[in-house]
Amino acid sequence: MIREILLRVGYGTLVYFIGMQAYMIGLGLRSAAVMRRVHHLERFGRVSDMLSSQTSPPVSIVIPAYNEAAGIVDSVRSMSIVGYPRFEIVITNDGSSDETLQALVEAFHLERVRIPYRPDIPTAPIKGIYRGHGAVDITVIDKENGGRADALNAGINAARYPYALCTDADVILDSNCLVGAMRRVVEDRERTIAVGGNIRPLNGSKVQLGHLVEAGVPRKLIPRMQVLEYLRTFLATRPAWSQMEALPLVSGAFGVWKRSAVIAVGGFSSGHMGEDMDLTMRLHRHHVDNQIPYRIVYEPSAVIWTEVPETLRVLRRQRIRWHRGLMTAVKDFMPMTFNPRYGKVGMVTWAAMFMFEYLAPIIEFIGWVTIPLAFILGALNTTSLVVLLALAFGTGLLNTLLALLLDESYGYFNSRADTARLVVMALIENFGLRQITVAWRIRAIIGGKRTRVWGNMERKGVANLGVGSP
Amino acid sequence: MNGTTIGVIAVVVVLIVDVVLLLGLVTMKAVNRRRAQSYKLRRAAYVATLSRRLTSRAASEPIEARAAADDAFLDAVIDMRNIVTGEEIETLAGIVDGLGLARRQEARLRSRFPLGRRLRAAVSLAEIGDETTATVLIEHLSDREPEIRVQCARGLGRMQHTAAIDAILERLGLEEPWVRARFADTLVGFGAKATWPLVAYIRVNLRHHDNDGVVEAIRVLGVIGDREVGPTLAGVLRVASDPEVRIATIEALGVVGGPLAIGPLKATFRSTDWRLRAKSATSLAHIGDPSVNSLLARGLEDANWWVRRNSAAGLASLPGGADLLLDAVSSDDQFARDAAAEALADCGALAAARERQEAGLTNAEDRLLLAHMSGQVLT
Repeated sequence: MIREILLRVGYGTLVYFIGMQAYMIGLGLRSAAVMRRVHHLERFGRVSDMLSSQTSPPVSIVIPAYNEAAGIVDSVRSMSIVGYPRFEIVITNDGSSDETLQALVEAFHLERVRIPYRPDIPTAPIKGIYRGHGAVDITVIDKENGGRADALNAGINAARYPYALCTDADVILDSNCLVGAMRRVVEDRERTIAVGGNIRPLNGSKVQLGHLVEAGVPRKLIPRMQVLEYLRTFLATRPAWSQMEALPLVSGAFGVWKRSAVIAVGGFSSGHMGEDMDLTMRLHRHHVDNQIPYRIVYEPSAVIWTEVPETLRVLRRQRIRWHRGLMTAVKDFMPMTFNPRYGKVGMVTWAAMFMFEYLAPIIEFIGWVTIPLAFILGALNTTSLVVLLALAFGTGLLNTLLALLLDESYGYFNSRADTARLVVMALIENFGLRQITVAWRIRAIIGGKRTRVWGNMERKGVANLGVGSP
Repeated sequence: MNGTTIGVIAVVVVLIVDVVLLLGLVTMKAVNRRRAQSYKLRRAAYVATLSRRLTSRAASEPIEARAAADDAFLDAVIDMRNIVTGEEIETLAGIVDGLGLARRQEARLRSRFPLGRRLRAAVSLAEIGDETTATVLIEHLSDREPEIRVQCARGLGRMQHTAAIDAILERLGLEEPWVRARFADTLVGFGAKATWPLVAYIRVNLRHHDNDGVVEAIRVLGVIGDREVGPTLAGVLRVASDPEVRIATIEALGVVGGPLAIGPLKATFRSTDWRLRAKSATSLAHIGDPSVNSLLARGLEDANWWVRRNSAAGLASLPGGADLLLDAVSSDDQFARDAAAEALADCGALAAARERQEAGLTNAEDRLLLAHMSGQVLT
């Protein structure tokens, strides 16, 4: 009887796994078609013509900062030379206990001013507003601590332009990223309410004066594994979601948002650990419920670079936080799941998010327990076990290889050493590392909710990632 | 066939696909690496050869005919085309002609090649094409591929082929927003030559339901800045009912309208649509006539936030406006106070007040402004 149950559960997880991999490979193939076109436009299209255009919509770059004194000045300097005809930078100092505000005031000669600040989205109290009159418009909102979402909301309130690029203080923007993202806005200004960008790990790359000079694959296994994860997510999944106009997530590290749309849904949710996903889904819900035409899209050529965790301890914390954010979002938007009223978002992408992201660790965990148990109890013979494991390995590898092939259009990672590192990682990531991340996500499920509004990641800082960083 | 056999077959298939993809990836990386290196070397060699040909015409170092088929040569020609001047342009054009470079790209553009090659051909023609290429570029303004249409218009703009203005305008209202925006950039590049064709286009299309092309044409007129179109645009403002057309016209009138536009703009400043009021405030200020100061001062009390902000910014740019802004700093309305203070900071009045404070020469207005900026309330 127990053997029969174990066998059925084992086969159930297999069917689930095949479904998940088929979905992922299907997305990968669809993304390939999108990426091919993007590649041509990137090579030959003159998106950069927008740089000299007097009709390009202006953008506010909103940067939340909490205890970023060490790197904030370099980050802002790096962002201030992004290629775009008209933009301002709005930094929100979210009650930092270090010298973040002083560093900004001194570096950019800011003075305390009174400007007409509109609290369109309620936030923690504003203590002061500082502005500089240099070549780039820089405004600093000094406010009491309220978390990342609250800081972003204050920045959106203070932004002067109709579109806000919400990003982080510790990222490096590719010089063409804003032009790439805003092209999608210009394509359909009426309907476009959000554009997501392509986030890539910075670890292993060479950085000088806050600029990426050469992309490289990190030597350490943990960041290298994340390189593959990011490629799978941003190259083999999101282009397809975007083409369906059913993107369920615009990542927090790079998202261009239409201010009026964000204000209409009340801004980012404070205290939410997945505030980017929450906002994206609320925008979908709001526009569908009110029958307002809209689109939320992803632009693969809008590249930004971010530092990813290098130790298991930090990675664990990040993944637990991410999964808790997903859990909250799944609960909040359960009525949209498999709901045809919400079109492809309800029936495909959000449904898949529920099935293959939220449930994945649970089902995968059940598989990792029942299949060996079934084998030990004799319900599963050696051939079947080998077939199951080989299928899991083979389809996972296929998905990764597809993402790596899509990445070829960017021309990064072409040295022999980088190629070897990526191939080795693609072959070994399924032996141990993947299982560890599943365990962390299980930990997130059973660990209950603990709110940590600012992810406490240990970073080297943009300025400290010098030549030859690992 | 039992489950295990099916499983084994599936595993074999998946693993074969994996191996193929893996080999493909490694090969592609190696090929791309070599191709990139070889391309860089060839391009540098071509640039060097072309430089020698251009600087010393006597030393006629031959360029092999097969170079015309090499993309590295094409890019080298484009590089040179962007930096050479005077006689060198003629020499380079001679080389391009001699090798049939433009004809080759025209053939590529006309062919059913994949998107990448056709796009490259369009980009190349936009860079190196001459009057003889214009026909092909005009023909492809209605190409099925939007980016090719953009490139063709760009090329026509680069060569200042005025006969293309009408062809571009014909497409303006039909195009998707991205292409329309790029066409507008091209029309701006034609400068005053495009003014009257644009006016004619606006007159013909103004009463059509789909006004996207008209809005773009009005914006282009505003950017070109030819003041002779002021009366035409004032007429458009009188008859147009579409808010987008009216907004674009108000904006353009701020640039090209002059004193004659003040009347129509004052009328739109009283509109019930806040967008028209906000845009009118900016345009009235752009004209630079201080007779509108009192009107803009009333705008500081407008119900809409943007109207107040634009009115304040407008006053800051007008003679005598700063005095009215200083009055507004003690207004009961917090937004009006802050908008006035922001405008005073932006126009340098705050910095001047700070300098006088450091020199111990502050007056009552300075003290009021400085106190407001530091968050203190003076009673």
